Amino acid sequence: MPDKWDKDVYPEPDRRTPDVKRESGLPNPTQLVVGLYHYAVDVPVTAFRDLIDRHREKHKYYYYHRQYRRVPDLSECEEGDYVCYFEAEMQWRRDHKVDQEIMDIIQKRMQACQQREGPSYIQNCAKEVEQFELAAKGYQARYAELGAHGNSRKCLMKQKHRMLAERKAEAAAAES
Amino acid sequence: ALSWTEMVGMSLLRAVVGIAAKLNPLKSRPPGVPLLARFQPSIPGVPVRCGSHGKRLFVMKPAEFYDKRFLKLLRFYILLTGIPAFAFITFINVFIGEAELAEIPEGYVPEHWEYYKHPVTRWLCRYMFDPPEKDYEKLMAIVNIEAEKAELRLLQLEARRVMRRRGDGPWHQYETLDKNLIDHSPKAHPDA
Repeated sequence: MPDKWDKDVYPEPDRRTPDVKRESGLPNPTQLVVGLYHYAVDVPVTAFRDLIDRHREKHKYYYYHRQYRRVPDLSECEEGDYVCYFEAEMQWRRDHKVDQEIMDIIQKRMQACQQREGPSYIQNCAKEVEQFELAAKGYQARYAELGAHGNSRKCLMKQKHRMLAERKAEAAAAES
Repeated sequence: ALSWTEMVGMSLLRAVVGIAAKLNPLKSRPPGVPLLARFQPSIPGVPVRCGSHGKRLFVMKPAEFYDKRFLKLLRFYILLTGIPAFAFITFINVFIGEAELAEIPEGYVPEHWEYYKHPVTRWLCRYMFDPPEKDYEKLMAIVNIEAEKAELRLLQLEARRVMRRRGDGPWHQYETLDKNLIDHSPKAHPDA
């Protein structure tokens, strides 16, 4: 069965279910059904699962996440060094994927917070929303409008244009 | 070969002969049993008692044979490899199980198949496919070869241009006649 989520990351609010006071003398049918299910289905399945787990504990093996070394960036490559261009491009693509996953996680965090809080999300989720807005602005500045055929070269050119625009804005602000 | 009128006549005769044979008064019959199963007496108000599971009917419906045969064959051929595959994969998932995620220990370089979770994927990666590092280096080799080819082509074009212009290289040399064969006698006296 999949693990439950990390309670520190997505905390559950306190439950407010009322306490039930039984007033009838008849036995509770829900308990009967639950007990039947427990002994007929739950116990054998759990026993089988424990047996298999004990067998697997003896023959454990692991898998790891890949760790890539950092290579020189596209701006640090010499002109005409196509192998360097290739490695820089591959590194840029991996970093792009990582950034997409980061954005996904931050989005999901905000959505989960909104779902949890319900109507009072505007004041209770302010931190998550602010984090998302910051991250989204950075992501947009770097990767937006590169298109489907975006590569590291286009991204570098976009950065260059951004820096030129900033410099122009600073100069305009200094003049006025 | 009979014509259709002859065939109709023959079938009518056959029906009549059959009925006559059944209604033969000379044959001994048990009493109480109706003469012909088809022609049951239908007295209104009395339910017909047949003694077995209802009156035998000839039900007219379209042919099921081909459809049933197709479905039987389909099930057979799907399950022929489906059941062993299902059993094999279930056995692997239950008894061997998937790998667990762990941090890479210090000073240990994992093999290229140890980056995958499912045991079948690991097996395939280990024995069938090339490691991704090899693929990456193959791509880099292709890029390098193409870059060298492009550079050499540019150099060759440059060399061609220079040799053609200067004429002092091994290319663009054209065979000419021997200088001593030229007859200079018309030019010996310029003012003649």
